[in-house]
Amino acid sequence: MIPVLSIEDIRKAFKQDGNVVQVLDGINLEVGEEFIAILGPSGCGKTTLLRIVAGVEKPDGGRIVIHDRTPKVGFIFQFPTLLPWLTVLDNVALPLRANGMSWREARERAHKYLSLTGLQAFEDFYPRELSGGMKQRVNIARALAVEPTILLMDEPFSNLDPLTAESLRTEILDLWTLKVTTVRAIIMVTHSVDEAIFMADRLVILTPRPAKIRGIIEVDLPRPRDRRSPEFQKLEDKVYELISA
Amino acid sequence: MGDIFKGCWKADVALTVLYLLLCAALSTFRMFSAYLISLLISLTVGVWMARSRSVERVLMPILDVLQSIPILGFFPAALAFFVATLPPGLGQEAAAVFLIVTSQVWNMIFGVYTSVKSLEPGLFEMAKVYGLGRAATFFYICVPAARNSLIANSLVSWAGGWFFLTSSEVISMGEEEEHRLLGLGTFIMEAFARGDALSFQAGVATLIAVILATYLLLWNPACAGVLGYQLPGVPAAYTVVRSAVSKLWTALSSVIMSLRVGVRVPRYAGLAIAAALLALLLHAIAGASASSAPALIAPSDVFDVMLGIPVSLARVAAIVSLGVAISLLAAYAVYASMRAGQLVILAGEMLASIPAVIWWPLLAGIAVGSPLGPHIVSAIVFLQGSAWYLFFNLLIYGVSSIRRELDEMAKVYRIRGWWFMRMIFAPMLMPSLAAGALSAWGGAWNSTVAAEYVELGDRVIDLGGAGAALNRAAYAGDYIGVALSALILSLVIVAVNKTFWRRVFEWVESRYGGGLE
Repeated sequence: MIPVLSIEDIRKAFKQDGNVVQVLDGINLEVGEEFIAILGPSGCGKTTLLRIVAGVEKPDGGRIVIHDRTPKVGFIFQFPTLLPWLTVLDNVALPLRANGMSWREARERAHKYLSLTGLQAFEDFYPRELSGGMKQRVNIARALAVEPTILLMDEPFSNLDPLTAESLRTEILDLWTLKVTTVRAIIMVTHSVDEAIFMADRLVILTPRPAKIRGIIEVDLPRPRDRRSPEFQKLEDKVYELISA
Repeated sequence: MGDIFKGCWKADVALTVLYLLLCAALSTFRMFSAYLISLLISLTVGVWMARSRSVERVLMPILDVLQSIPILGFFPAALAFFVATLPPGLGQEAAAVFLIVTSQVWNMIFGVYTSVKSLEPGLFEMAKVYGLGRAATFFYICVPAARNSLIANSLVSWAGGWFFLTSSEVISMGEEEEHRLLGLGTFIMEAFARGDALSFQAGVATLIAVILATYLLLWNPACAGVLGYQLPGVPAAYTVVRSAVSKLWTALSSVIMSLRVGVRVPRYAGLAIAAALLALLLHAIAGASASSAPALIAPSDVFDVMLGIPVSLARVAAIVSLGVAISLLAAYAVYASMRAGQLVILAGEMLASIPAVIWWPLLAGIAVGSPLGPHIVSAIVFLQGSAWYLFFNLLIYGVSSIRRELDEMAKVYRIRGWWFMRMIFAPMLMPSLAAGALSAWGGAWNSTVAAEYVELGDRVIDLGGAGAALNRAAYAGDYIGVALSALILSLVIVAVNKTFWRRVFEWVESRYGGGLE
């Protein structure tokens, strides 16, 4: 396995109403060129782990190593978090511009990734003119446009209607399997066991707070996966068993 | 002989007109410089407060006090400070601009602060994840978020600035020391003092024309363009200004963003700035006491102000109530008819902008005509210094928050007139009415200085009260006493804010806050 990301003994505690709450209690994980789904009960610290990997939050102990010469991270937020005063194109271009690219270059790059997510016709639109699914696509294009090594996704489909969510899942998987982006590893936080098995190569299941890794399940089903196949069902049972153990 | 005389007269008129235009230009320039400074202060301080918990904790109470104290009372001290530290002409100019800034900046800071504070936290998370840095976060997230409230507040602040403009151009410090700046305020006051009715009228007319022009050409179109309110104005000039400003702003943002990462605000910057401000204040007091003869510091002045506080309190309370009534009526006119509304707004903008000091000479006939006269003019100056906060709050925020569903409901069930006013209209306006009333209360205290005491030619009108006492102390040259009295007055005002107004807000919030059921 070519290592892409090492999560080494990550610990994190929060202060809450004067009490110290341990959230992450020694998380170790080696991530190769693969799609990882993190599952666990709500409030167990999945999102915190993701934020630590993104470098937004500092761990109390342990470290994150991205094995790349230019370690960059793309983040698909649960909500689209687009700036209402910028066009779709500029929303995607802004992170590039802010990191030293000229507007012209940044917009060219943004254009490329908006085309990849099927939004080229909506570049000059403002976020309020888009549907929820389209906004989430802009969110995805923005994450890919920074040309990241690792793509982090925080329940990216949880606020969409079921049909839109399903088509976005397929699109992300297509982009991933066709290797048209710079992404070498994906880490997705999700509540949905079904979604995790449908998309990921490995499932990492966390315990309730303070979170440790309870188990890791390999999903070696061929893509596209069939949710009604007995293998899929068997895996699902296994995951539920591990979660409720 | 007659021809020569005529020629002289003509030359004289031409000169006076030229002088008047110069004065108008200088005053306008002063206004724009002050506004620009206010804009920069409000953007940086407002954003900083919204983004940093510790800065918020330090600055919030300070700003709360600053916005509701009689700033005119502190002006002599500020003037002494600027004159003492800067070269002669510049010091006075800086003091004038400073005074205008103090009349504009508070509501703008709070406007920026609340809009940035109420932004979805996810946006800042996004900025962090993508390494936007401080500069890009400021230029692309905070400033655009603050734009709407900045425009709405600018409308109010612009009027506030004009109100104080003349007071800042002519300031007496003791009998022998009077500072005058070339400007419209000075022009008008001098013409009045000379008894030159024509020049006086020309001056007032020019002032009104300039104020109207800035609203029609700039603020109203800006407000209409950005916020979508229908305000009377000429959009063409605004379009030019807008594109120029946006070019400048884009250039500024790319320059600052190209400097990126370098700017790191140190951890204790807030504390350092507070210390610097304190040092500056001490320096000002030291400067003021150095230039004032020690014999002039009279404790009786301070006592005088304290005796005046109850009198002024009664006046301020009456004025705020009157302002509430007038503003409600104006709001109803705006709500009921678009065209009437436009006229009301334009009239309001103009009336709000006419400088306090102009009212006295303008209405001198009424003021000296009868024993009640001075009180009437005083009430007008008071209203003028306070009611517009209510007026703009109701007209800009209040009326636009009225739900059309309620309007329809009222039509269907035929709820009209008094019942509509009482059960639907006024309650919907309550939150903005309360916010406006609090500002009006601060404004009214600030106007006591201009409304309770005035020298009209060689006649002195003194209505008593804290503001008049402050004036007497200032004319006596005791500006330590003035600053001390203003400080005591501020404490009283802040105490009322923390007790009475806080309850009012809690009550309004619990009863009228929130959305429709």
